[in-house]
Amino acid sequence: MNFWRWFARRSREDREIEEEMQFHLAEEARLREGRGEPTEASRRSALQAFGNYALAKEVTKEMWGWSWLERAVEDLRFAARMLRKSPAFTALAVTALALGIGATTSMFSVVRSILLRPLQFPNPDRLVMIWELPPRSSHRNVVQTGNFLDWRKRNHSFENVAAMFQIPFNLEGSSEPVQIPALRVTAGFFEILGTSPLLGRSIRTEDDVADTPWVVVLSYGLWQRRFGGRRDVIGRKIAGPGNAFEVIGVMPPGFYVPSLARADLYLPLRIRPDEALHDGRNYKVIARLRPRVSLSAAQSDMEAIAAQTAQERPDMNAKWSATVVPLMEQTVGDTRTTLLVLLGTVTFVLLIACANVSNLLLIRAHARRREIAVRVALGAGRWRLLHQLITESLLLACIGGFLGSMLAWWGVPAMIHMLPEGFPLPRLVEIGVDRGVLAFTMALSLGCGIVFGAFPALQLSRGRVNDALQQGGRHGSASGRYLRDALVVAEFSLAMLLVIGAGLMLRSFALLNAVDPGFRPDRLLTFRMVLVPSGWKTFDELLTQRAALIEQMLARIRTLPQVTSASSISFLPLSGSQSGTAYYRTDRPAPPLGAMPGGDTSVVSDGYFRTMGIPLVAGREFEERDRSGSPQVAILNQTAARRNFPGENPVGKRMHVDWTGPPEVEIVGVAKDVRHNGLENSPDPCLFLPQAQRPAGWASLLVRTADDPAGVVAAVKQQIHVVAPHQGIEEVQTMERVMSDSLARPRLDATIFAIFGGIALLLASVGIFAVISYSVEQRTREMGIRIALGAVPGAILRQVLREGLALCAVGVAIGLGAAFLLTRYLTTLLFAIRPTDTLVYTVVSLVLAASALAGCYFPARHATRVDPAIVLREE
Amino acid sequence: MGNREPYQNRIELLQGTLDMLILRTLQWGPQHGHGIGVAIRATSQNVLQVEHGSLYPALHRLRKEGWIEAEWKISENNQRARYYRLTAKGKKRLAAEESRWDRMVEAIGRVMRPAEN
Repeated sequence: MNFWRWFARRSREDREIEEEMQFHLAEEARLREGRGEPTEASRRSALQAFGNYALAKEVTKEMWGWSWLERAVEDLRFAARMLRKSPAFTALAVTALALGIGATTSMFSVVRSILLRPLQFPNPDRLVMIWELPPRSSHRNVVQTGNFLDWRKRNHSFENVAAMFQIPFNLEGSSEPVQIPALRVTAGFFEILGTSPLLGRSIRTEDDVADTPWVVVLSYGLWQRRFGGRRDVIGRKIAGPGNAFEVIGVMPPGFYVPSLARADLYLPLRIRPDEALHDGRNYKVIARLRPRVSLSAAQSDMEAIAAQTAQERPDMNAKWSATVVPLMEQTVGDTRTTLLVLLGTVTFVLLIACANVSNLLLIRAHARRREIAVRVALGAGRWRLLHQLITESLLLACIGGFLGSMLAWWGVPAMIHMLPEGFPLPRLVEIGVDRGVLAFTMALSLGCGIVFGAFPALQLSRGRVNDALQQGGRHGSASGRYLRDALVVAEFSLAMLLVIGAGLMLRSFALLNAVDPGFRPDRLLTFRMVLVPSGWKTFDELLTQRAALIEQMLARIRTLPQVTSASSISFLPLSGSQSGTAYYRTDRPAPPLGAMPGGDTSVVSDGYFRTMGIPLVAGREFEERDRSGSPQVAILNQTAARRNFPGENPVGKRMHVDWTGPPEVEIVGVAKDVRHNGLENSPDPCLFLPQAQRPAGWASLLVRTADDPAGVVAAVKQQIHVVAPHQGIEEVQTMERVMSDSLARPRLDATIFAIFGGIALLLASVGIFAVISYSVEQRTREMGIRIALGAVPGAILRQVLREGLALCAVGVAIGLGAAFLLTRYLTTLLFAIRPTDTLVYTVVSLVLAASALAGCYFPARHATRVDPAIVLREE
Repeated sequence: MGNREPYQNRIELLQGTLDMLILRTLQWGPQHGHGIGVAIRATSQNVLQVEHGSLYPALHRLRKEGWIEAEWKISENNQRARYYRLTAKGKKRLAAEESRWDRMVEAIGRVMRPAEN
């Protein structure tokens, strides 16, 4: 039947029943009046003879299929009315739920976007990355060029294998030259990912050959920014380092290689087979598994090939192997642990919110016992009351859920927006709130509604109407009290756990932040770039140009008045990049192949240690005299010195270095250790080579200034461009900023933990406030009598506070136990402290006790102000 | 107050009897709810005190079963009132109820006064 027709008929029927009964009452009153009863009395007695008017009407209406829907609408309206009647309760409950659900939804959005949603490529589970494995190590190492060519030729497992190399592209042209992130790839790269270009074509085999015209594929973002999204960009030439690059294609929006930093454009890699065997390890390798080839089959295939190459070229490959890693795993990496821990954490936040709302509802149901008892006595069905209570909690949950999802909807993008560009969170651009998450939120809200609606409803159905009526709903039943107390204890133990988690993360972050990096980061500017020499023909000419460029730039920069010193390094400390090679002392037999002596290697200009503020512990630093043609020199850091020359002074000793240029060097100095590879990692051995003798192509200029470094940027850039007009700069940052960015991830983790811990603490405090307030209100009479008998307010205050603190203490004790068991999952996220850090546990216990005290103080003070006269009169 | 039986159960308890009384009363012609109540009280010489309110669920149930029909008319006191009338189906039902009632009275009589048989 049509709903509206049915509804119209239903409401007519309702009106008619009402009219019919009213007629009955009028008729009966007339009858009684006729017998001589007074008018007023006759009406009353007519109503009396009728019995329960409301119930009779209700039951009669139900004869006509009083449907569940109508009942639900009725209950909903009633629930809304009840919620409006107590705004404080509603506000508290809705806020608790919105926070709990909002936090959970946000976290679930992030987890879903990063961990659960497949990568956005065709058959993404077939995509893998292949790495080399160094001797006796599980480190995923970038791949040697010759090995890549062998893998590509010899494998039986992959449809296609491609090498990738991230290197900034020097974009020249009308405006100031810039260096933008680019990815050089071998042909087949786009086929492996399976994404077709939006416009034009992608890089083909014939593009990936040396000495052919250069081509470039643009990202959607660069196309929009730089070329205004014009379709005629295909075929245009853009000016790059020493060449013109023809635009052949544009990729669709959102295309990027997961696990790699964003790239603005794609260029052919153009490996020269004749140089491949002598190259270093530089490339990341991506591949697509053939259909029906399993990961383990591919793994054994690669191990076999690696064993062959190790035998064929032991100088390069002895004891090296290879490993195949699914792209998804590569992308997600160790973020998985963090996310799962956070998901667990946020579930606890939600549990606390639910316990809180449940407790509020319990207290409210208890306060409404009299009202409910009256309604039961007047004939309200018990089922109907249960329905109403559950409807009320469902309504609360839905409002909370709605606000919570709004919170997530705005909160997640806002949070992402606040992160620094290039933030090391996988799949950052893919994070968002979607329909799945919305469904999850709704399910969560409804689940919460049912769970905490059930508690008071069950209690009600056990409660005896008679008791409630007689006591006037003033004295709490023991069972209700235990349940309420248990919920508060649960809230406190969960809050304890979360706040300990937050405390550990914050302390760990504070320690990390206080780590001495080994250099002085203040008033230090960095200019990151890839050198773009021009007009060179041979490799030697290229090296000479690199050395000359840096030398001339530094010479000019050093003349600026605000600059106190300037130098350069190949890869900045804490920037996430470093190079390395093998080195060993020459006065001992050479280590066997595959023994991997050596470690990090940095190429620096003269004055590097002075500019960075790194003290030398022995010898000297690089100077003007360490030039191409003069004796080859090197400097060790303390760790490298200790490892290679234990108990000896390395200065004056000689070492063998696998690096471009003569292999033998004399150690001229030892520098203090620097935490190059992250503040959380202890220093690795490092060998420093002079830029003048071994010119590197990557360089960060370092400029120490007398005062505010920001004022010097333009002047330094000007000097750079005087020397090299086409030289773009990838990034200008203060060293303090570089350091701070290197902590972005632990900072975010600590922030999220702190937010969750804060919410938990707040909710637990509100919980104890509500319970103690209620308990005080229940015992107003007792308090009044005690005050009348001469109890001092102080004693009453102490008693109430003691009651609250007892609950808190039990919660804290349980929370401590749980923390001992659970915080070990934080171990990988913690720096320098154990997950059972005594200081954190003590401080957090005190904080919780303080918040419990704060929660109890107001109701306690209220108790001391009870006026005995009023209380006693009420009885 | 105490733990008394819910109201609805009591109606069910009276259900069969009340239904029969209503059908019987309507045998004399259409009548509104109040009139039916008055008639039951009067014919039973005030022995059967039906709580007035309980008439209406019963009336509407009978109507739903199709044993009686309802129609709005103007009462003797010039007010709109809903009159109920026995249907053919209702008449059959009344006959069945009556014979069932007779059997029951007889049976209960035998149980209560065994010596007189």
